Amino acid sequence: MAKKNSYAGKILRVDLSTGAITTQELGPEYTDLFLGGRGIASKILYDEVPPEVEPFDPANRLIFSPGALIGTGVPAASRTTVAARSPLTNMHGDGHSGASWGAELKRAGYDVLIFQGKAERPVYLYIDNDTVEIRDASHLRGQFTSAVHSWARTTFGADVCTVSIGPAGENLVRLAGVYHNGADKGVSARCGLGAVMGSKNLKAIVTRGTGDIGVADIAALKAAFKDYLDTIAVDPYVPPATKYGTCRFMGHRVKFGIHGAENWRYGAYHWETLDPEIFRSDYQVKAGACLACPVRCRRDYRVRTGPYAGVTAKLEWETIARSMTCGVTNPEAVIAWSNQCNHYGLDTEGTGDTIAFAMECFENGILTEKETEGLRLEFGNEAAWLELTRRIALRQGELANILAEGTKRAAAKIGRGSERFAMHVKGGEMTAGDPRGMPVRAVSYATSTRGSDHLRSNPYIEEIMRPEEALQWFGSEEAADIKHGVRGKGKMLKFSEDFVTIGDILGLCKFAYYRSATFPYLYRKGVHLATRFYNACTGRNLSEEEMLMAGERAFNVEKAYNTRCGATRADDVIPRRFFEEPLLGGGPSGGAVVDLEKFDAILDEYYEDRRWDPDTGLPTRAGLERLGLNAIADDLEARGKLPVSDCGKVE
Amino acid sequence: MAKKKRIVYTNRPWEATGICSGCHLCELYCSLQHVGAFNPYRARIRVAELSTGVDVPVTCQQCQDPACQAACKFDAIVLNKKLQIVVVDETKCTSCGACVGACPYGIITLDPVTNKAIKCDLCGGESPACVDICPSHVLGALTDEEVSEHNRLRFAALLAASDELRRNTPSGEGPVLKRLEKRG
Repeated sequence: MAKKNSYAGKILRVDLSTGAITTQELGPEYTDLFLGGRGIASKILYDEVPPEVEPFDPANRLIFSPGALIGTGVPAASRTTVAARSPLTNMHGDGHSGASWGAELKRAGYDVLIFQGKAERPVYLYIDNDTVEIRDASHLRGQFTSAVHSWARTTFGADVCTVSIGPAGENLVRLAGVYHNGADKGVSARCGLGAVMGSKNLKAIVTRGTGDIGVADIAALKAAFKDYLDTIAVDPYVPPATKYGTCRFMGHRVKFGIHGAENWRYGAYHWETLDPEIFRSDYQVKAGACLACPVRCRRDYRVRTGPYAGVTAKLEWETIARSMTCGVTNPEAVIAWSNQCNHYGLDTEGTGDTIAFAMECFENGILTEKETEGLRLEFGNEAAWLELTRRIALRQGELANILAEGTKRAAAKIGRGSERFAMHVKGGEMTAGDPRGMPVRAVSYATSTRGSDHLRSNPYIEEIMRPEEALQWFGSEEAADIKHGVRGKGKMLKFSEDFVTIGDILGLCKFAYYRSATFPYLYRKGVHLATRFYNACTGRNLSEEEMLMAGERAFNVEKAYNTRCGATRADDVIPRRFFEEPLLGGGPSGGAVVDLEKFDAILDEYYEDRRWDPDTGLPTRAGLERLGLNAIADDLEARGKLPVSDCGKVE
Repeated sequence: MAKKKRIVYTNRPWEATGICSGCHLCELYCSLQHVGAFNPYRARIRVAELSTGVDVPVTCQQCQDPACQAACKFDAIVLNKKLQIVVVDETKCTSCGACVGACPYGIITLDPVTNKAIKCDLCGGESPACVDICPSHVLGALTDEEVSEHNRLRFAALLAASDELRRNTPSGEGPVLKRLEKRG
């Protein structure tokens, strides 16, 4: 008799200090309001990791939470959330991946996997359906992410899935990611999650799960799938993703002139050698897909000739962007760097920004050649860039050891005025495109709950809205004006954040659901169809409003977590460079700065719409209770973290 | 009488998205069709991932002289006259696994939930679920005539490609600088 619900029904908890392995029911206290994925992960993090627990304390949790729809045939239901208190931001941290490991975990019978404690020596967790064992991993010490996955396939069969850290995670590099299924399938890269895993002496998770994932209403699922295919067939946003992979985002950066090149100084830059067409015709070996995804925007590239001959790597857009942040525009070097980071287990985003920081320090004489141990850290110096990346992963040498701490801590350690070159928000390195010339984008990097992040806040919505839609949804036509609009932007930002969070809760990929060429298509995919898919798979009957509220709720849990860690409005800022230095290089945004008045005005409107106190940035009791987060409101109040007088509107 | 068909990997390697992307939608919808739930281990088509990261969908070749049928001592693998392929009679299957060992393509397996042997049954003559769902359109239900030319080209390509595969290194070897160091 087939299961009639896509939940597995259990939480698996592993205490690496005591060796205790337990399961508990995944009850309605989690599924009702938090659904799955990032929703459940954020709630568990809030409940179980108080601010007294530091990121590298054994009591920090490392939480693996596949999206609610993982393992089903819902198109692009691929993404698993990994969460912990971040060693970079000291606040909420999470990352995601579209590789199939999360589905294997659910098939083994577990919706969530929580690690706590610390093993005495390197271990891996072995899961084969009901069999769950902590096993010795001394033979894996120092191994690349790729080698761990190869070993697992050889030892346990080609169907197994793995999660692993590379040498970077083992060395507690704060720029280390958690890799799924080896080096080239996917990584939960941000927030230093790999370092948390390393701090627990957990090298890998090997998983086989052969159980069913049920579905409540097959006919409704199939109808929604057809509807989804019909929608993406006419949405002009999707075909370039299938044709070029995520390289396609070069077009966006060129259009707005927001490359973030040479440590976020140049908006226009010599990008032509990194044209998506060059990657496609000269280097592409595979157009791959994340689990269950018809868009197929993953790309593997290979260099066949020249100094990097033989290198193969999965390469995604942000890696290309951060290469430009380091002044590198040679596609072969970019592929080599991606290969380097993937095998050593680093986050290309954070590592790129951190090396760019060091490059600007070198340019200004703040770091000397003696301190760089002979590396000429000039923007565009490929050999130095690759070598420094390797050293950072291994903490080899004094400079690499400092940079391994991330941009914020490195700047604090080096001093000498280097702080002005440290491009991070709350300790999380800068992502995506330059915010100068795009006011709501600037604010969106500040409000993200995991440090600078465009995926959290998804400011792209302003690029597709028509003035009449902006008026209807956010109260002002101005919200559709990218360069000059202020009114309505704060509300737009809140909507966009809540909307995108739905994807992380359900495990739906943003490229497949949360980006589009028009707002109606966007809403149809990201809210309407997402809700239909969830209901069809689980047998529940959520409305679209309830689904949006689930996104809002998870975001508020993270905000509450950060508040409890000490964050206030003062932390919702972006690097001063963006306010004070006009964007260099000319181009569409050349000469722009972020206008502080506009920034504050948008932030004020955002806080009000979020029902957070605008003066302090703190969540209000009324706002939290509206979302059913009464216990969190009580906890914050007991810790003196609610505003003195609640300013939020009561519903 | 309807013509015999089999599911064939009709990839178009000259097209970027004309090869298997590894999305696993074929497995998911095959299992949904047959058991009403999502489970690749219960699918009759499987995506084999090579250590180089290449994905290939493989399923029953619907052999003329099936090794699985010859190996079965319980008459559980029988000819379906309408489809002209052999199918598993679950009432007779004893889960002995002889067919699993006999199949030269590693296709027929034991369902992890029922323990019965499972193999592709062309969805009983309906439009095959895997063919319908594949977003790259690299699966086809081909007749004997359609498959002959495909087989010839495939065999030739296999001979040519085997050298390429023997030259490639598995992905576990590590990143580029490690290899460059070895070269000195």
